[in-house]
Amino acid sequence: MERRSRLQLSRLPDITAMKQQQLPAYQLHFSATMVFSIFFASGVFCLFMGIFLILSAKSIQKVEINYTKTCGNCAKLREDAFNHNKICTCSIPFVLAKSMEGNVFMYYKLYGFYQNLYRYILSRSNSQLLSKDLKAVEDCAPFKVSHKEIPFAPCGAIANSMFNDTIILSYNLNSSIHIQVPMLKTGITWWTDKYVKFKNPGANNLTDKFAGTTKPPYWPKPIYELDPDDPENNGFLNDDFIVWMRTAAFPTFKKLYRRLHRIHYFIEGLPAGNYSFNITYNFPVTKFQGEKSVVLSTLTWSGGSSLFLGLAYTVTGAMTWLASFAMLAIHFMLKQRKASTSKWQSKALKGQSRK
Amino acid sequence: MSVSEIPHENRQNGGEKRYLKANHEQVSVFFEYPNNTIKTSKYNAFNFLPLNLFEQFQRLANAYFLILLFLQLIPQISSLPWYTTVIPLVVVLSITGVKDAIDDMKRHQNDNQVNNRSVLRLVKGRMEEDKWMNVQVGDIIKLENDQPVTADMLLLSSSEPYSLAYVETADLDGETNLKVKQAITCTSDMKDNLDLLSAFDGEVTCELPNNKLHRFTGILSYKGKDYFLDHDKLLLRGCVIRNTDWCYGLVIYTGPDTKLMQNSGKYTFKQTHVDRLMNILVLWIFLFLIVMCLMLAIGHGIWENKIGYYFQIFLPWENYVSSSFVSSLFIFWSYFIVLNTMVPISLYVSVELIRLGNSYYINWDQKMFYAPKNTPAQARTTTLNEELGQVKYVFSDKTGTLTQNIMIFHKCSINGTLYGDVIDKTGEKVAVSEKDKIDFAYNKLADPKFSFYDKTLVEAVTKGDPWVHLFFLSLSLCHTVMSEEKVEGELVYQAQSPDEGALVTAARNFGFVFRSRTSETITVVEMGETRVYQLLAILDFNNVRKRMSVIVRTPENRVMLFCKGADTIICELLHPACISLCDVTLEHLDDFASEGLRTLMVAYRELDNKFFRTWSVKHGEACLSLDNREKKLSIVYEEVEKDLMLLGATAIEDKLQDGVPETVMTLSKAKIKIWVLTGDKQETAVNIAYSCNIFEDEMDEVFTVKGKDSETVRQELRKARSKMKPDSLLDSDPVNIFLAKKHKALFTMPEEAHALEGDVELELLRVACMCKGVICCRMTPLQKAQVVELVKRYKKVVTLAIGDGANDVSMIKAAHIGVGISGQEGMQAMLNSDFAFSQFYYLQRLILVHGRWSYNRMCKFLSYFFYKNFAFTLVHFWYAFFNGFSAQTVYDNWFITCYNLIYTSLPVLGMSLFDQDVNDTWSLCFPELYEPGQLNLYFNKKEFMKCLIHGIYSSLVLFFIPMGAVYNSERSDGKEISDYQSFSLIVQTSLIWVVTTQIALKITYWTVISHFFIWGSLGIYFCLLFLLYSDGLCQMFPNVFQFPGVARNTLNQPQMWLSIVLIVVLCMLPVIGYQFLKPLFWPVSVDKILKRIHYCMKHPLPPPIRPRRRRPGLRRSAYAFSHQHGFGALITSGKTVKSKALKKNSFPAKK
Repeated sequence: MERRSRLQLSRLPDITAMKQQQLPAYQLHFSATMVFSIFFASGVFCLFMGIFLILSAKSIQKVEINYTKTCGNCAKLREDAFNHNKICTCSIPFVLAKSMEGNVFMYYKLYGFYQNLYRYILSRSNSQLLSKDLKAVEDCAPFKVSHKEIPFAPCGAIANSMFNDTIILSYNLNSSIHIQVPMLKTGITWWTDKYVKFKNPGANNLTDKFAGTTKPPYWPKPIYELDPDDPENNGFLNDDFIVWMRTAAFPTFKKLYRRLHRIHYFIEGLPAGNYSFNITYNFPVTKFQGEKSVVLSTLTWSGGSSLFLGLAYTVTGAMTWLASFAMLAIHFMLKQRKASTSKWQSKALKGQSRK
Repeated sequence: MSVSEIPHENRQNGGEKRYLKANHEQVSVFFEYPNNTIKTSKYNAFNFLPLNLFEQFQRLANAYFLILLFLQLIPQISSLPWYTTVIPLVVVLSITGVKDAIDDMKRHQNDNQVNNRSVLRLVKGRMEEDKWMNVQVGDIIKLENDQPVTADMLLLSSSEPYSLAYVETADLDGETNLKVKQAITCTSDMKDNLDLLSAFDGEVTCELPNNKLHRFTGILSYKGKDYFLDHDKLLLRGCVIRNTDWCYGLVIYTGPDTKLMQNSGKYTFKQTHVDRLMNILVLWIFLFLIVMCLMLAIGHGIWENKIGYYFQIFLPWENYVSSSFVSSLFIFWSYFIVLNTMVPISLYVSVELIRLGNSYYINWDQKMFYAPKNTPAQARTTTLNEELGQVKYVFSDKTGTLTQNIMIFHKCSINGTLYGDVIDKTGEKVAVSEKDKIDFAYNKLADPKFSFYDKTLVEAVTKGDPWVHLFFLSLSLCHTVMSEEKVEGELVYQAQSPDEGALVTAARNFGFVFRSRTSETITVVEMGETRVYQLLAILDFNNVRKRMSVIVRTPENRVMLFCKGADTIICELLHPACISLCDVTLEHLDDFASEGLRTLMVAYRELDNKFFRTWSVKHGEACLSLDNREKKLSIVYEEVEKDLMLLGATAIEDKLQDGVPETVMTLSKAKIKIWVLTGDKQETAVNIAYSCNIFEDEMDEVFTVKGKDSETVRQELRKARSKMKPDSLLDSDPVNIFLAKKHKALFTMPEEAHALEGDVELELLRVACMCKGVICCRMTPLQKAQVVELVKRYKKVVTLAIGDGANDVSMIKAAHIGVGISGQEGMQAMLNSDFAFSQFYYLQRLILVHGRWSYNRMCKFLSYFFYKNFAFTLVHFWYAFFNGFSAQTVYDNWFITCYNLIYTSLPVLGMSLFDQDVNDTWSLCFPELYEPGQLNLYFNKKEFMKCLIHGIYSSLVLFFIPMGAVYNSERSDGKEISDYQSFSLIVQTSLIWVVTTQIALKITYWTVISHFFIWGSLGIYFCLLFLLYSDGLCQMFPNVFQFPGVARNTLNQPQMWLSIVLIVVLCMLPVIGYQFLKPLFWPVSVDKILKRIHYCMKHPLPPPIRPRRRRPGLRRSAYAFSHQHGFGALITSGKTVKSKALKKNSFPAKK
């Protein structure tokens, strides 16, 4: 009998929660209390976060010196490409009123340098940089090969435009004793860049390994002479080169140049006193209305963050609070109006019934 | 005959006429007539790929992406690698392709099944079983009882006398009554003599295939004589042979040439409002895109002029770029490629998947499964779901849709006594239950399906009450029903109208069994005793007379006239002696009418022989007169139909489908207007309208419009309008005025359909839309479609047509949504419908539950989908201002490829398949919830603009917060974070978080699957991130995977997470606030109901709202007749009456 009835209902749909759209579910519904608690909670959170961030950003010490104009004569010299052999140096003294404690980092900062142009970003050869194929320069337009058809190593616009000023910081104990502040030029790249993304064609004898390639047009020396003293920092593995090759997201950017070697006088950081930057000015920026600075900075847990995040959090928190108060007011006003109208209505009804 | 013998003129005229010759295949081959294969499928294995791709690329979006792909291949402007477009495009195309292929496979299967049915075909003097598809023009085919007709064919001979064949044409025109076809004499003589049949070489010249069901002209030339052929001799494909043991036919039209296939036409592709809106929006987006590209190109020009020109020391221009203007020309196209994701590629395919899913829910819905017939609901079209949530007008057929088309003898009044109510001892009416059913076991010939509950009537019959006996005798004599007795004692009545069938069946069960009839006699078994009455005359029914009578001679040689008809008519014909009885009966009739029963009065008159003889002469003369025959006959009829003695009245219940009144009420609460379009006559239609709540008693008044020419119709319409709203008589009045006044309108369509002509139709629409309930009677199938078209054209609302018969097909096809009731009247309606189920009351579930959900889901889906793509794409726009408008994207190329396809597709699919704001019970409890769909509140151009603004806001936040966070910033170890790759990682991760939390806010119904999809998508994002940014992949393909190590160097930085949290807060709080404030400032009626539901959900359920079933108080009488002429003429002519003797002769072979 049962079998027959099942046969008769052969087309009965399956009775599963899924097919009958009756899956057990939690119904999300925002009640007024929930909305207000969300608003107030996030307001509190943002305010505290903002104040905390501002405080930690304030604890950072920073010296920034724009040397575009200060070294105006050098800038002018560099505007003419024929002067590329002439050396131009420039010294900028400054006073550190308060000592910079802890790790101190030296950056160069470029204004109006577009490392994020579409064609610029593309103009590199990752397989060359990995030393997979030194002659793989297809992606490097417009700096693929020299006019003798010899491929550049490294090729491409990014490599070609590498920042090549040298900046030396000296601590002027007094007018005669100038101590060069010890700086480390390695350990300034991401580990993955140095050990994954960039590889030299071999450990030693880079000159031979790079045979068949030529230096990029703007470079004064070939890739294998970037740091002849330290084979770990030479060739494609040169830290300055790697840092440059990590293109910046915005036309104004800061790149790590050196970090303080904390020895002797500088074990605590940079003591207060007179300093000067001795800059060998090579990199032309004035031609495209760019500027460059040198920056000394300490860091906190959140990095060398600017005030932006802290301010943004504070403003968001404040706005959220304002908004939630406004909403609360509206909510209660409407509630009261409703209550009064319904009261009035019920009164009117009562009056009618009395009549 | 060889081909060369084909008459010359026929060869020439091959283009205008069809020529064929029986049993000559060559002719068919020569003229290349198709064989009987039908093909509804679109593709085959070879043309599928090109044809399907061609069709898919006709879609705007797909074509757009194809063009985009070509643009990307141009190196000068390519700003994205080719795979960012190819991968999504291929996925989208293949999903659609697979769906199309599956659909077409189903069609192939159907075709195969039909084409491989077997039929008996005459081959070389023998009948051989063959497949349908092998049947050729000119073949002779044998069909047996209950077989469907294979092709359009000329009836040659049949087993029945006079070579009649009965066919049921339900699948063709929806009429359930049998139709008679008759063969011409020269062929009918062949009977089933196979030798004669195979020697038959008649030649037929006829018209070319056409779609006119009721027209056929042709000439049969046989043995040197020409015979004229008309459609009465043609058996059409789609008919079913009934009551005919066998028949032979000559195939004339085959396969695609048959009238059925010619009528089926091409399936009209139905597009939903959302589809059209989507197309418009895609165009808008496209324009918006071009504007953006223009702006950016101009920006680029300026930048190149001011900065880029000087920056050439580091990045010289390409050699084909001669000036900043040329450069910006290229940049325009580059940005066109970068911003292409504004037009969402997966939009169409996602919409289709969602609709498919939601259609499956309809198929799976157990609450729409009808167990007695084992039929689940069926979504036959899977592209209309969300439109179900927007229905404003429902056009319903009456018979078979609102009613079951089952007539039940419910009550009667005999000689002033009311029978039919079950009354207990105290005199109160008791509700009947199944076990109280009267057992008719004493009557061997009783119909077991008949049920009656009042025992007093049976007692009266068995006691031998003469009035009761006479009453039932008259019912068993006065009708045009035909009986069939295949097995001894099992009578099957073949009635032209089901009402008559019900009356005769009632008489049968009470012991007055109508057993058989010939043209001159009626055999009735009266309480077990067989008596033969001589049938002297049938005074047939017509619409003016509203009555029918028979005159019989009883075995006792008395001449009796029995009459039944509408009460208004019969009352005037009664003998003055029964006035008091008439009053009592009329009271009973009032009772009957108030219950919505269809009533008839029954009366008799005894004629003396002499009077009858003189009358009979007059009758004979009138019958033979050539002009004004109708009128003369009715005068003669009136002479004898007078001084009638009242016997009583019958009440027949036109059984409604289950739950019809409740459904109608629920739907009208949902502000859905229900119009009944019926071919039936006014009285029955009104009766049904009241009993199923379409008309209510509170409604003010009924306007009846039944003018015969356009001028009177216009007058009537204007009068009606001035009554409802006096100041609205200006012609300039908009059509869309809506009056809440409770009026009801009734339109009887005169045959010439003046009300549907020109400016009258506007007038009609205006009036009709002001009324609460509208009924249109006497509608032809075409008119039904016209009414639907009228509303569709002028009202810009979604219409739904529901019907069950082939006569509803045109309206089902015309309406936005066609619903077929898979009921008794054949399959045609169902086959042309978009949704099909077997009970009318499933409509409320289809519309209010599935439709509403689908609509809500689709709207949520669309607004989210557009939003997520805006938020995603517009970030590039902001970035342009910082990268010299150089078409640099913010994101990694792989992210762009996967964003729509992998990272964000599942949560939104999950939402649009599982989300429900309130469950089905609440949706049905509060039909008011349906209103936003009708007004299209949830997704329209305004909502789209909101999405756009929301998207712009989100993209601003998404761009500037990370920018501020990393600008001139570095990690806590002093290393890089403001590089391009870290920045893009921060933005894309924030984007994923924002769109995921956004959808989490949108989902109101969190099932396990939603959790899985949402958190799963986030998980997949991070997994893929680490995979795509892994060292190994990078070292293998350094130029494809350029982001190694970014994930692990950046994801652990506070800047990253601080900006994500801030972005999420900034993007979500305004949304939550808006959602909270919106019902406070701009309340919609639905908000209140939703609030109430949320309140109720937390608190115990309210008592379910039971719709009151009102008892109509007004008197509405209806008479139970079909509106056609009766069978009377046919019966008296003797054609249809099977004579046993003849039948025996016709089976010589069986001996």
